[in-house]
Amino acid sequence: MAVLQRNISSLLLASPVILVLSAFIIVPIILITAVSFWGATEFSIYPAFLFDNYEFLFTSEVTYRVFFRTLYFAFLVWLITLVIGFTVAYYLAFFVHSLTWQIICFLLCTIPFWTSNIIRMISWIPFLGRNGLANQSLIEMGIVNEPVEWLLYSEFSVCLAFVHLYTLFMVVPIFNTMMRIDKSLIEAARDAGASSTQILVNVIIPLCKPGIMIGSIFVVALVMGDFITVRFMSGSQIANMGRLISNDISLLQYPSACATAVVLLATVVIMISIMLRFVDIRKEL
Amino acid sequence: MGEKRSTGFYILTAIFIAFLVFLYGPVITIGILSFQGPTGGLTFPMQGTSLHWFQELFRTQMVGDIWGSFQRSIILGLTVMVITVIFSVGAGMAYRKKFFGSTPLFYLIIASLVIPSILVSLGVGLIFSQLGWEVHWSTSGLGAQLTWTLPFGILIMFAVFNRFDKAYEEAGRDLGAGPVQVFRLIVLPIIAPSLIGVALFGFTLSYDEFARTLLTSGSRNTLPLEIFGMTTNVTTPVIYALGTLTTLFSLLIILFFLTFFVLSQRRRNKKGSDAGKGLV
Amino acid sequence: MKANSKSKISRRSLLKSGVAATTAAAAGTLGAPMIWAQSNIVLRQSGTGVSAFNEIAAKAKEDLGITMEMTALDSDSVAQKVATQPKSFDIADIEYWMCKKVWPIGNMQAMDTSKIKNYDKIVGIFKDGKLTPTSTIAQGTAPHTVSFVDGANGKSFSSEETGWMTMIPTIYNADTLGIRPDLINRPINTWAELLNPEFKGKASILDISSIGIMDMAMVCEAMGEIQYGDKGNMTKEEIDKTIGIFTEAKKAGQFRAFWKTFDESVNLMASGEVVIQSMWSPAITAVRSKGIPCVYQPLKEGYRSWGGGLGIAAHLSGKELDAAYEYINWYLSGWVGGFLMRQGYYSAAVETSKEYMSADEWGYWFEGKAAKGDIVNPQGVKMESAGAVRDGGSFYDRMGSVACWNAVMEENQYMVRKWNEFIAS
Repeated sequence: MAVLQRNISSLLLASPVILVLSAFIIVPIILITAVSFWGATEFSIYPAFLFDNYEFLFTSEVTYRVFFRTLYFAFLVWLITLVIGFTVAYYLAFFVHSLTWQIICFLLCTIPFWTSNIIRMISWIPFLGRNGLANQSLIEMGIVNEPVEWLLYSEFSVCLAFVHLYTLFMVVPIFNTMMRIDKSLIEAARDAGASSTQILVNVIIPLCKPGIMIGSIFVVALVMGDFITVRFMSGSQIANMGRLISNDISLLQYPSACATAVVLLATVVIMISIMLRFVDIRKEL
Repeated sequence: MGEKRSTGFYILTAIFIAFLVFLYGPVITIGILSFQGPTGGLTFPMQGTSLHWFQELFRTQMVGDIWGSFQRSIILGLTVMVITVIFSVGAGMAYRKKFFGSTPLFYLIIASLVIPSILVSLGVGLIFSQLGWEVHWSTSGLGAQLTWTLPFGILIMFAVFNRFDKAYEEAGRDLGAGPVQVFRLIVLPIIAPSLIGVALFGFTLSYDEFARTLLTSGSRNTLPLEIFGMTTNVTTPVIYALGTLTTLFSLLIILFFLTFFVLSQRRRNKKGSDAGKGLV
Repeated sequence: MKANSKSKISRRSLLKSGVAATTAAAAGTLGAPMIWAQSNIVLRQSGTGVSAFNEIAAKAKEDLGITMEMTALDSDSVAQKVATQPKSFDIADIEYWMCKKVWPIGNMQAMDTSKIKNYDKIVGIFKDGKLTPTSTIAQGTAPHTVSFVDGANGKSFSSEETGWMTMIPTIYNADTLGIRPDLINRPINTWAELLNPEFKGKASILDISSIGIMDMAMVCEAMGEIQYGDKGNMTKEEIDKTIGIFTEAKKAGQFRAFWKTFDESVNLMASGEVVIQSMWSPAITAVRSKGIPCVYQPLKEGYRSWGGGLGIAAHLSGKELDAAYEYINWYLSGWVGGFLMRQGYYSAAVETSKEYMSADEWGYWFEGKAAKGDIVNPQGVKMESAGAVRDGGSFYDRMGSVACWNAVMEENQYMVRKWNEFIAS
């Protein structure tokens, strides 16, 4: 009886979340999967059970190229955000001692995100462009004679924007696990004669693994699903899965968009579930 | 702060400052260009300097309705924020005990987090159109955004309750407090600082959301969509002026919250409780 | 708020009696006479930034008392909205190629031309496709081919005037390449220059398939690489070949970027990232008004043209439908035409705009004559000094040398997939 009561009260507490996610996640996914088998004419979609969309997807060489490009970006951005994110979190957790200052630092990191992303994205052009701030400074400093072209509309600029957008998603969970590390452990290691590097490698990094995993899940999921950053920062020159989908949507090719979406979703889910094998998020947070 | 500051400290401080500069790079560009002269555009070169675009911001634009969409974005952001906080606390409380269906629900929450934003937009848009409902930023838009902010809120609540010392509650219960009283008088004050974090996350994620609202906002745009729409005609440094003002405004708000926080922290320290520490 | 607007109305009522009379007369044929100002009619117009001007909404409020809510998005998003969110708009402000795509979905209703007062003054392009009785019809989705349907509930397009229009035409123009003469320093006279290796890394094309494919076709034809049967209705082989040529150029680094929104094209040009690209007329003006030289280069192969109009959502009825007709009638009555002409577009009922423009403006924008004084844009910012002549000359020179229209072709689905591959390659 008490068990039942406990279950009911928990379910009641969780019910709003269950409702929202059912209506706005489960149902849409079911529909997307269904529509991926539908047929499309020029201007409308009709229910059917066709493999056309998948056939086109899997027989086009472009799909594979775009798919690997997406994975490549995810990997690269993951690596960079991990290094930067870990360093920043390490600093905030072990070198900034007062809670107030830690909060101030985090808030300082948040403010740039309150200017609409679209505006920030547009502003990269005058920053990185041929006559932009970066090139002007480089020329003035005498580092280069001619404007550097690859700063904008290139893989570099796409990665840069990703790192800019998503590093914070890495910092927060890593910082969080770092704060849970019992300081006496570190003291003990130090007393035992371990150097700072040894402490970092043998004590802190292993203990931060859950945070790193959670951050990685964020970053990988975000990069895999992005489309607007790639479009803006590559000047529409580079495509990832998200752009294939958004192009299809904008051209009213919903079934084909849904088919790509299903493939993308499956990939992301597989990747994330592999990552979840390594860490029990619920316990480790 | 008692420790001696090592070289490591200075190197890391330098790295952190470099990171901040990197984060603020676009904001700085925006800041400079918002003082563009009246004939200037969105890119360098500067055509003189002026406050023209700040004044222009408060007039009617050629295309688009900045303030209307700003208002919608703020209302939506606050709604998302409040709902996220309340629902997340509920889910967080629920997960303190294992309950029927807790594992599938957990995977659903994770799924909601990792599903590419454009799919949510597409799916929700499709459902509304198949059912013949009208998409609107306050219905479909709100729902689509919640699928993004709720997982964040819930994960934060997991982190909070994982470290929650049950002894406080038990003490309260022993003194004869009912569940509601325990929650209101003991749990809530302890988790309050983290709720600020959840709220902040909720608002920020909603305010800046583009992809999820793209196909779900209906006939009236939120701010990110409106700015995107404005770029289909000549956009002026007005949007930069908006960016600069947003940054300054946020700095002010944060300063306000910080003062508030420092003051309450002091008061709490006087009372000798350190509950809730470290739960950012 | 309410009281406020009412007092405004009563103060103006004397002045407005003229307008009110026409309004009532027009409304009278539809039912009871009404005064819009008091019925709080709100119409939502979905369109692109090309014509979703707040000034038009403000003027409509002033003249008609109808509140217009203008929402601007990029062309693809608008088409999508019209196709998938039938209740999210009352008036669709879209282009003719989009009309070809979205009309058959049935989210719009045919319009009775007998209720359009200036119907007779609409230029021939939108009726029988001919600018003058002798002109030939350009390739592509020419507006007149999707202008008419066979009856109030007609679904299929009719090639002749039937009295039922899909959209009432409002705006059109002839597009060509924009160049930065100061950075190119030599004459440009053919579309083929877009792929000239001389401009490697400094060229751009727009990423809107139905428009971009036509620019591509103009280039490939000018290069002599492909002879099209009909550019506006390519075969699969022609599509493959066209996209193939551009994919190769893309891989060789010919393009700096592709643009999708108007503003991107302005920024690319103004910042010097690009020196030659597909561009729209007001974008040229926007670059020029920053003091940066930019020419809308007439090319020997002719222009790629486009047209847009206002369509009414299927769900509109009663008072709102009447108001929509009223608004569209007002749109064609001259003031908006003048406003649009000053941006470098043309108005569908072009004669009616003449009285809303100064003789000098009319001479510069329409007749292609040298400006006698400064030419200012609708916001009053000076754009051209005395003596300037519009690139491409007069209305008849420009609209008379249209080589093709933006198009939705029979193989469109195939083309779209190929286009997607091109962008992704």
